[in-house]
Amino acid sequence: MHRIILHIDMNSFFASVEQQANPFLRGKPIGVTGKRSSLERSVVAAASIEAKRLGVKTAMSTWEAKRICPSLLLVSGDPKKYSVITKRFNDILRKFSPLVERFSVDESFVDITEQAKDELGAIAIALEIRDQLRKICGELITASIGIAPNKFLAKLASESVKPNGLVFIRPQDAIHFLDTMNLQDACGIGPRTARHLEQLGVISFPQLRALPLDLLVREFKGFGFWLHSVARGQDRAPILATEEKAKSMGHSYTLRHDTWDPHEIRHYLLALSDRVAWRLRRDGFVANAVSVSLRYGDFGGESGEHRFSEPTDDGLTLFRIAWQLMEQWRDPLRSVRLVSIAASKLSTGSVPTSLFKKEQKFASVLPALDRLQRHYGTDAWTRASLLSTRFHERSSGFNYDHEV
Amino acid sequence: MHEIINDAVDVEVTFSSNHVAPRRMRWNERNYEIRTVNLVHSAMEGMKRVFYFSVSDLTNYFKLRLDTDLLEWRLVEIYSDG
Repeated sequence: MHRIILHIDMNSFFASVEQQANPFLRGKPIGVTGKRSSLERSVVAAASIEAKRLGVKTAMSTWEAKRICPSLLLVSGDPKKYSVITKRFNDILRKFSPLVERFSVDESFVDITEQAKDELGAIAIALEIRDQLRKICGELITASIGIAPNKFLAKLASESVKPNGLVFIRPQDAIHFLDTMNLQDACGIGPRTARHLEQLGVISFPQLRALPLDLLVREFKGFGFWLHSVARGQDRAPILATEEKAKSMGHSYTLRHDTWDPHEIRHYLLALSDRVAWRLRRDGFVANAVSVSLRYGDFGGESGEHRFSEPTDDGLTLFRIAWQLMEQWRDPLRSVRLVSIAASKLSTGSVPTSLFKKEQKFASVLPALDRLQRHYGTDAWTRASLLSTRFHERSSGFNYDHEV
Repeated sequence: MHEIINDAVDVEVTFSSNHVAPRRMRWNERNYEIRTVNLVHSAMEGMKRVFYFSVSDLTNYFKLRLDTDLLEWRLVEIYSDG
């Protein structure tokens, strides 16, 4: 028996939540952006259905979106509001099956093979999910639903019926359905892969199917096997109902203005290091490596990684190493737009006690600071040097800042 | 017009069907009749849970914040059409 997989994708998610909260935004072209303080440096994280009809696209810069659609209303994103709806959405799905995989903040896969039994059962479940979404999350929160024998086809199917559509792809119809879609509509075939395929003379699914497996493997290595399978509508990837263990923990931040000032860059790097270190301690990890990267105002970037001889979970240690690393390659003549740091090679365990008294003292203060943070939230304490360094919340496609 | 504020306000609520719903608000010496509760969400601030009510009358959208520690209502956002 073949599997029955749903892919449910909430339409214009952040924008729909804003229109649900504020009825005066309904029926209007709106764009949800990043930080309130710097709308003009931001991008459109989500456009309402009305804005999309007028040509506004997700990830478009706000100035370009305004140029295309002068009536566009820019609304600053509210990640706390969206995260509650994401949770309600996944709670609804779990009522129908325990096999729910959160794919991003606004889309999930559900395996309903056992519960649905057949096509009619699957459609009934999909309609019930849509009804509960309306009742529990609000009438403006709608979703496109693709039902198919695997994740690859289900996602492609939901993409094909946006917004607010429902489609069932039978196993025997998979090839016919694939052949109506563009290669780049498929999740996993990005611009780079598409360019590579084009060089091989492939711009459609029938042409991809015609390529022999050995050629695909020669050109794409292991990824060639996947391309060979999906071109035939086959995908054995299971539903990942449990979240994978973290392999790294990182934070990045786009500054409110591009800067050449090393003090400002240092301050943001230190504040980001403290955030990463807090997450390490909170989740019982220590880092054995740190990586740091910069994006310049001209959108070029550089990065570097350093492995420690002893693990750490201390923000100041992460910062010192990251800053040293960054200063080896940072170009002082180019302005900096984005700073990013990640702790990696994570392991569980404790940090060795330092031989130096000053470091021992600070290590003894950290548990108290962590208790404060746990009780009063992220802004419970800060270093005196960082009093003027402020982060503004933003929304992203996969996680919410306030939850990580 | 959209404004971010943080003013303490008086709020009258009803408790019905296991839900609390703001019905009237007094702000800046004026009373506002709340017509619809559009969305309710909560957020943790450390160990404290804070509730946000996105509500509206005929011409305004209000975002109200209920601090469950202090049992205090604040008006944190207002949006007026036009």
